[in-house]
Amino acid sequence: MRYVKWTLISLMALFAFAFLHYNLPQRDVVRIADTYEKRVDPGENSWFWSQPDSGNADAINRDVFFIQTIQTNNRVMVYRNEDTGWGWPPYFKFDTSNLQTEAADLKSTKDAPQWVVVKHYGWRNEFLSIYPNAVSVRAVDDPDVQLIPWLNIVILLILALIILRIYRMIQRFRERRIDPLLEDAGEAWDKVEDRADAVGEHATGLWGRLRVWLNTWRAK
Amino acid sequence: MIGAIRLFAIAFVVLTVVYIYLSIRQRMRTRRALRDEFDEGGIEGDRETYVEEGLKDYEDSIRRKLILGVYIVPLVLVLVMIYLTNFM
Repeated sequence: MRYVKWTLISLMALFAFAFLHYNLPQRDVVRIADTYEKRVDPGENSWFWSQPDSGNADAINRDVFFIQTIQTNNRVMVYRNEDTGWGWPPYFKFDTSNLQTEAADLKSTKDAPQWVVVKHYGWRNEFLSIYPNAVSVRAVDDPDVQLIPWLNIVILLILALIILRIYRMIQRFRERRIDPLLEDAGEAWDKVEDRADAVGEHATGLWGRLRVWLNTWRAK
Repeated sequence: MIGAIRLFAIAFVVLTVVYIYLSIRQRMRTRRALRDEFDEGGIEGDRETYVEEGLKDYEDSIRRKLILGVYIVPLVLVLVMIYLTNFM
């Protein structure tokens, strides 16, 4: 039972971590190599694609912008560039085409790199064909720029406070409502035990007296 | 725009639940505080009248109107987010 409990708890923790890791913004320092668009038909990976641009009709397939980048460690990262609109995650991004223009404007070559900070959420996975969604781009001079994720710190702090608060509330509810019930049950059980003990004592008392009385008949 | 209407409708329902919860809780707390205040002594008159009058003052207080922040804070957050994401 204890293994089941801990397995469930760790699964939930893992799921919560994955959820936050997917949805919270992250920033990468990259060099934009090129931009393109391609038609996608989201299938079993449709969870990891956004909806059509805000205001457009719901189509099964659509053209999606992509931003091809090279990271500072020379590894490749491709971002998709889609509206999140009014849906989840709540980035309220409507400026996809503008962002694509900015990204295209920041293109640079290997010899004369223009470093860019890309804010994004999501995961790159080759097996599922999913891409992180770029939210904003910003040019920087120094590829080793120090980025402190203030927004994430604030969000995680608030989340921790809410969880702590709920935990406290459950604890207080337990103390006030469930513990007294258990105590009552415990007291009732104690009473039963006391009575059983009393009966038992009485019995030994009776049995003892009987033995004493029997002993009086024994030959000496 | 359908997306916006859906988001605001869901948010309105959820926030209304929070609003009702908070106003009930706040009122109960005020009532309890008023009773404790009276029980400490030194106040003339009837206990129930004192509590009712105190609650009437609470109805007009800023403390009660602050609960409206349940609607205002998320709305402002969304507007700020929209501005920061799209127009900065």
